Amino acid sequence: MLVIDHGSEGVVVIRGRLDAAQSPVADAFLGKVQGVVTLDCGGLEYVSSAGLGVLLKTQKRLLAAGGKLRLTGVNRHVMELLGYAGFDQIFEIEPAR
Amino acid sequence: MQSQVAAAIATADPQELVARDMKAILDVATALAAPFDLTTMLAEVISAAKQVLQADRGSVWLYDAKCDELVLEIATQMKAIRVPAGAGLVGTCARNRTIINVPDCYADPRFDSTVDRNSGYRTRCMLTLPLVDHKDVLVGVMQVLNKRDGVFDGKDEAMATALAAQCAVALQRVQMTEALVEGERLRQELEMARTVQMSTLPSVMPHIEGYSVFGAFQPAELTGGDTYDVARVGDELLVVLADATGHGIAPALSVTQMHAMLRVVFHMGSKLQDAVVQVNNQLADWLADDRFITAFIGLLDPRTHRVRYHSAGQAPILHFQAARGDCALYKPTSFPLGAMRLATLRPSVSLDMAPGDILVLLSDGIYEYQNADGEDFGVDRVRAILRAHQWKPVADLAAALLEAVETFARGAAQQDDITVVLVRRDAPHHAVSYFDRDVRAVGSIVDFTAAFFTHEALDPRMRQAVDLTLEEIFTNMVKYSASTAQVRVDLRCVGEGVEVALTDYDVDAFDMTQAPDANVALPIEQRKPGGLGLHLIRRVVDSIEYAYAPDTRESRVTFRKTPKSDEKRGAGAPPGDVSAGH
Repeated sequence: MLVIDHGSEGVVVIRGRLDAAQSPVADAFLGKVQGVVTLDCGGLEYVSSAGLGVLLKTQKRLLAAGGKLRLTGVNRHVMELLGYAGFDQIFEIEPAR
Repeated sequence: MQSQVAAAIATADPQELVARDMKAILDVATALAAPFDLTTMLAEVISAAKQVLQADRGSVWLYDAKCDELVLEIATQMKAIRVPAGAGLVGTCARNRTIINVPDCYADPRFDSTVDRNSGYRTRCMLTLPLVDHKDVLVGVMQVLNKRDGVFDGKDEAMATALAAQCAVALQRVQMTEALVEGERLRQELEMARTVQMSTLPSVMPHIEGYSVFGAFQPAELTGGDTYDVARVGDELLVVLADATGHGIAPALSVTQMHAMLRVVFHMGSKLQDAVVQVNNQLADWLADDRFITAFIGLLDPRTHRVRYHSAGQAPILHFQAARGDCALYKPTSFPLGAMRLATLRPSVSLDMAPGDILVLLSDGIYEYQNADGEDFGVDRVRAILRAHQWKPVADLAAALLEAVETFARGAAQQDDITVVLVRRDAPHHAVSYFDRDVRAVGSIVDFTAAFFTHEALDPRMRQAVDLTLEEIFTNMVKYSASTAQVRVDLRCVGEGVEVALTDYDVDAFDMTQAPDANVALPIEQRKPGGLGLHLIRRVVDSIEYAYAPDTRESRVTFRKTPKSDEKRGAGAPPGDVSAGH
């Protein structure tokens, strides 16, 4: 299951598993955000390459328009994958404390 | 017997004032309130009518709504008769629900004089009146014959009508009370039959080395005739599931009888073939012609892992085959037990239990359980549950099945007995399942893996890497091959680690493991979504191998993961925080 929705103070909250089956849900939602967007990943348990693709696509679109996607509360495993994918170079990431 | 009602009326002179007549009627009502049985009540009613109307004889016909007939339950000095509603004076009265006063019976064509001819009595005049209760339900028809002095007049008709209403209610009450009493008696008898039926079921499961055995019986409230048995017979395991036809006490008792017969013949050393013939023939002699019992009777030899069985009308027999991750369905081998005597029987059929295989015997109370929409639970739902819960302890597997049935029913009541018998050849450490070639199957794959990890008590820290690698390889197979076959997933314990194999059928050779790493150092403008999967999984598992079988056109990707590989990378991380639920 994956849940993605607007939280408080303009933050977008994502929870659950961002896998190949669920990434269209995230894609549809993130396809509509604008400006500087903070994605609260505190409840994001899992991400696969399909999910990373959605994040990359969103980041490219926002950057081109002068905005960006920030990732916060990222757990160790997701952090590790973001690192393998080189995303730590192209996203502003705040790991979970 | 001195009638109480008649005694109450005796004080009233029917020739006096109307008020006096009303008192007589009310006295009758009071008297009829006594808790008589039906026969006494009918006698009371007739006696009262004779008194009040000064008639020589009387009779009450009860209406049998099922047949739309009137039945003469009691008639002083007359024989019982049935008359269709609408026929003759009684039938006409019942149909029209109006009083019929015939001053000269032999002048009325509706009058049937055969009764007189048979009894030697001569009916002069007759009052026929409907007995209708206060809810306008026809209870019967009352007839009073031969007024002592002359014929029945208008005043008698009025009296009779008032009396009839009281009689109708009284009769209705008695009939309903008797039906309730009868119902309670049947319920108690059924409960006793149930107790006997339940008492024969095995109280503990026999221990058979290398096998797990489970049996459960969930009786329907009122009906059904299931039984099962799992018992050691010499070195073998006797496995029985039976279902007697019909509802009520008879099937409960007949399966109990069959259960006992089987135990006896096997303990006396009968061979399977002889046992089935003997029990069949005894049942054929003993059971009513319209009754029979469907039964699976099998013997498992735990040394050869072979089950020899007869299935007398019992189907489907499900054989969950672990290597395929699905069930084989077998038909009955003969007609039901007790249907007719048998001189010979075809040889038994065999099935071989491979590691992880489950013999699944379920009564039709499961397959035919109907939900609120009238849809059957069916075989396919059973197969899906077996695939999903195949490694659970057999008791948990049965519980999952029963829970699924309950969820499916959405409140629809259980109509038939439910019996579950599971015999599994133990073979943990390996599980197989097949998944549709669709990225949406990823959720099912995760569930499958989670269940395997729990069952095998594997280190949950391996889950993220295993889930990721499985997903990436699976979605790769889905995207890049033209096959329509399902993808097979094998999970196997290797030491403390796990080996996972994904098999893609009917495909050309394509070694996805040779795909180059993504260049993750590129600036974002040059990065592309996709192409990351292989790059990632190479970094989280211990090994990935590709194999292709040209003759069967099967591609197989196998990867391994051990807890050690995580320790190397994730040193210093708090343990256990990877086991996030789903």
